[in-house]
Amino acid sequence: MSGFDIFAIVLVLLVIVTLVAGVKTVPQGYDWTIERFGKYTQTLSPGLNLIVPYFDRVGRKINMMEQVIDIPEQEVITKDNATVTVDGVAFFQVFDAAKASYEVANLTQAITVLTMTNIRSVMGSMDLDQVLSHRDEINERLLRVVDAAVSPWGVKVNRIEIKDIVPPADLVEAMGRQMKAERVKRADILAAEGQRQSEILRAEGAKQGQILQAEGRREAAFRDAEARERLAEAEAKATLAVSEAIGKGDVAALNYFIADKYIKAFGQFADAPNQKIIMLPVEAVSMLGSLAGIGEIAKATFGESAASAAAAARRTGSVPTTGSTPPVVPPRQG
Amino acid sequence: MTDMFVSLGTWNWLIFGFILMALEVLAPGVFLFWLGLAALLVGLISFAVAISWQIQLVMFALFAAAAVPVWRRLARPKPDASASPFLNKRTEALLGREFTLEKPIIDGSGTVRIGDTVWRVAGPDTPAGTRGKVVQVDGANLTVAAA
Repeated sequence: MSGFDIFAIVLVLLVIVTLVAGVKTVPQGYDWTIERFGKYTQTLSPGLNLIVPYFDRVGRKINMMEQVIDIPEQEVITKDNATVTVDGVAFFQVFDAAKASYEVANLTQAITVLTMTNIRSVMGSMDLDQVLSHRDEINERLLRVVDAAVSPWGVKVNRIEIKDIVPPADLVEAMGRQMKAERVKRADILAAEGQRQSEILRAEGAKQGQILQAEGRREAAFRDAEARERLAEAEAKATLAVSEAIGKGDVAALNYFIADKYIKAFGQFADAPNQKIIMLPVEAVSMLGSLAGIGEIAKATFGESAASAAAAARRTGSVPTTGSTPPVVPPRQG
Repeated sequence: MTDMFVSLGTWNWLIFGFILMALEVLAPGVFLFWLGLAALLVGLISFAVAISWQIQLVMFALFAAAAVPVWRRLARPKPDASASPFLNKRTEALLGREFTLEKPIIDGSGTVRIGDTVWRVAGPDTPAGTRGKVVQVDGANLTVAAA
């Protein structure tokens, strides 16, 4: 093997090594820092890059994608001295590979510890109830504080989320009981409210009913009174008319009316389905005498012919006379 | 073994070149593809012109070195080379965006809520409620000016 042989072989090896050292393909999602003799010079972005072989060296390969860190469980004492177990997650992204490489020794650990201590301080300033119900506020406060703290490291914390807040078991049990009592109380109050409302409504209804009834009665009384007044007026008018008529005419006319009514009344007696024994007061008998007056009126009015007809009618006994037995009505058929 | 290599002669280069190209698939980004091309070129030349294997090796080294400028020209990034240009460059996507300051900028620094998170902003002191515009990004910090 001559020297030239060896030279050729070594040359090829050297070229290959040099090329491999000088050509850097950075995958998407990463940035590589380049150190010249150990000092940072530049950052390689994704794609094919050339560096000076032998002088430059790839320092750190920084993940530029958003990353999630699990914030480990820790016990936090709240403002009202309740000990709760809290864990969470933090999302962060590197924006400046150089700072993230050289400004901080262990980025994820640093962010984790920072978040943990801040969870303590934020939750320590709140009551347990607030801690349990104001997660958004806690997340927001944590984010602002931690994000400001990591800014020198070329990192941005995008969000911090509290995952689990676990109070001690006896506290949870007490909270459960408290909630149950609260619900029971609410139910009782609601039932009482309902009863009260219904009682009020019923009373209201009764009151309204009574008022309406009274109004009805009042109205009726008014109308009754009015009716009586009207009746009295009418009676008075009628009486006046009758007395006027009597004043103008003869007493015999009055007798006629009375006799007419009397006969009609007797007709009703005759129609009545019970036994026909009719007691007549003495004055009534004398009243029958007025029937004679009718005859006289008739005589005066129609002349002699009518009078003889009336006399004939009397003979047939169609008009009851004093002491006569009442007309026998044949018994009804079926 | 050596006998086989010697007997194959020029074919060695072609075989070597294709093997290198295939390896590029397995180990991307190590420039093996270009070394493979150089080996193929050496093989084709030695088919045409009879040259000693030492010269062939030197030629291979030269071609491999010459591949770098050729590759640089091909790999020069075009302005719209990527289907999603803002990949891993969230801040650059915010350039030119306008928003309303929730909290005032005091002593040249403040925060602003964009999307679902809070960004640190730097800029001239402005009271809360004014509209700002991202004019420059530096890492995770935005520089704003009054819109």
